Amino acid sequence: MKSIVKFMRENIFTPWGLWLGFLGVILLSALVAGITVFWKGLVITNLTDLVPWGLWITIDLSSIAVSAGAFSLCAGVYLFGLKRYAPIARTATFIGLIGYTMAMLALVLDIGRPDRFWKALVFWNTHSLMWEVTMCVMLYLTVLLFESMPIFASLEWLRKKFPKIAHKMESAHHYAPFLAIIGLGLSSLHQSSLGAMYGVIKARPYLYKPEMAVLFMFSAIVGGIALTLFASMLSGRLTPKAKVNDILIERVAQFLGYLMIGYLYFRFWDWLASRYTYEPGRTEAYHLLTTGSLSFNFWFGELIFGALIPTFILLYRPARLSPFWRMLAFAMIVGGVIAFRFDINIVGQLAVISYLPGQATVTYTSYTPSLVEWASGSGIIAYGLLAFSLGVKYLRVVDHRLTSEEHEVVTVTSRETANA
Amino acid sequence: MTENNFNRRDFLKLTAVGVAVAAGTRAIQNVEASGGSKGKHQWAMVIDQSKCTGCGYCTLACQAHNDVNPDIQWNKVLDAGEIDGKKVYLARPCMQCEHAPCVEVCPVGASYYRDDGIVMMDYDKCIGCRYCQVACPYDARSFNWENFDGNNPAVPEWGEPEVERRPRGVPEKCAFCYQRIDRGLELGLTPGIDADATPACCVVCPVGARIFGDLNDPHSNVSQILKKHVSYRLRENLGTGCRVYYLPADNDVVNEVVEG
Repeated sequence: MKSIVKFMRENIFTPWGLWLGFLGVILLSALVAGITVFWKGLVITNLTDLVPWGLWITIDLSSIAVSAGAFSLCAGVYLFGLKRYAPIARTATFIGLIGYTMAMLALVLDIGRPDRFWKALVFWNTHSLMWEVTMCVMLYLTVLLFESMPIFASLEWLRKKFPKIAHKMESAHHYAPFLAIIGLGLSSLHQSSLGAMYGVIKARPYLYKPEMAVLFMFSAIVGGIALTLFASMLSGRLTPKAKVNDILIERVAQFLGYLMIGYLYFRFWDWLASRYTYEPGRTEAYHLLTTGSLSFNFWFGELIFGALIPTFILLYRPARLSPFWRMLAFAMIVGGVIAFRFDINIVGQLAVISYLPGQATVTYTSYTPSLVEWASGSGIIAYGLLAFSLGVKYLRVVDHRLTSEEHEVVTVTSRETANA
Repeated sequence: MTENNFNRRDFLKLTAVGVAVAAGTRAIQNVEASGGSKGKHQWAMVIDQSKCTGCGYCTLACQAHNDVNPDIQWNKVLDAGEIDGKKVYLARPCMQCEHAPCVEVCPVGASYYRDDGIVMMDYDKCIGCRYCQVACPYDARSFNWENFDGNNPAVPEWGEPEVERRPRGVPEKCAFCYQRIDRGLELGLTPGIDADATPACCVVCPVGARIFGDLNDPHSNVSQILKKHVSYRLRENLGTGCRVYYLPADNDVVNEVVEG
């Protein structure tokens, strides 16, 4: 009896054990919810013919967005030669891998025929932006797998049991610059086309605008970098397994602050141009955002807490130097990007323009996610948290000491100048 | 190759090639997206709002002939206000757009154009992403949120099913009763004139408010009516090129004004 209590205290009632237990409960309920969805069909969701994309698509969009740290930081490290940030790119790559698999899970839940998922790869309508997103996401997931090989190679068990395989996997980092180029190309394409997917929808006046692609791209980059840095700092505080170099993070944080200025710049002109004159449907959708049901989300989630305050923190040196405020700023940016994705997805569907002849009339629809959607959706998030936690614990995903071994340096001597 | 000799210029070259290839593919695809206007026939429907009484028989006949779930209406009849105290209705099948947003966005090509202009659904190819529903300006698509395995209450009173039921998890829509057109043409009938070759909604309409025919045939009744009357299409500003035309409820007044 005593030994059981001891075992419990040492293994289960530890922060790690409780954390796993907490995630386990969510995952279990999500499993039940997911099975119910596959069994009963999408009828048990609150999705309708007028609002066919709901919470799951928001999760899909958001997890793709916050995975963008992988391509932007890898590009910085391997293409622009900022090698000392390599350990941060390592964290970002792992988060990217998790994020994209989360998006896949969300899509499997969301599509009406998950059994036909493979058809998206076989039957091509190259005119469809969703086709392009599907292709890029699949290819990029493959790239991420390769990029993550060296990370998986640091699993102790693998190193001991199969040293040869571990070595092979580790050597994948030789291709890092190439993978970074392919990753940059694929990511830039699909992060923007994810926005363009909404931007080309004529039927929904709020969504129908060319800047959608740019906004998605920009918000993804800031959200992705912010999540990577936040996750790194948080793990550094919670576990000795994570080794964080605060100077590195602080430098990237300042850069992120400048990126946020760029993001806000685009948001401002998008806002001004699309609100300038009355446009049936679009103006009503903006009213929903600024004064209607989504106003809290818009003002506080997207703008004040989601963009303005964190930008100030990251650009105001004393605030940025404080780890607490910096972390808070990262978290707020991530929240802001998620709120932005949520609003974009939902608001265009909430204000629908009627096809009746005569003056364009606007009808309002509504959508509140059902319990099943929440349960399975939180399961996807719990999976992401679990995967990252395991990565920190066993794969040294956050370890800023890993710099030299990542890359060999080839010195090239320049041709000697001829003496006259 | 080490990263030293893979410089920025190489990267830019690679990107440029990638972009060029992507743009090329897209351009080719744009040429191909002709909207199915190359066929011998171009089917179109004219709905006369001055005759429509809003009885809803068209919806019922449609549900029977296409074996549609009673919760779903491919052809909706909506209230459209009133003129001089007389109620006006708007019957809305699928518009069979020439530039159909649903066809353009479908990732797998499950929505496609037939050469005669009908916008078709390949229910076996569809993955159920519902992008077409978000993209349709006419709300013409209905998703099968659940299985339809019960009795069809519209059968047999309003007709007998002619097509297979759609499975759960795919959106469905009107396709101008393509099965009736195809079978009719095989039998040497003329869609729009012979009932057996004409969409069920047009056949059942008790006041003759729905007229069907071939736009490529200048003598067809749709060509003749569209020549003589003022007509409009829904959300014409979007440039979708609907193949469903409406004669306004105050059609006589409008025509008098136009003809002077």
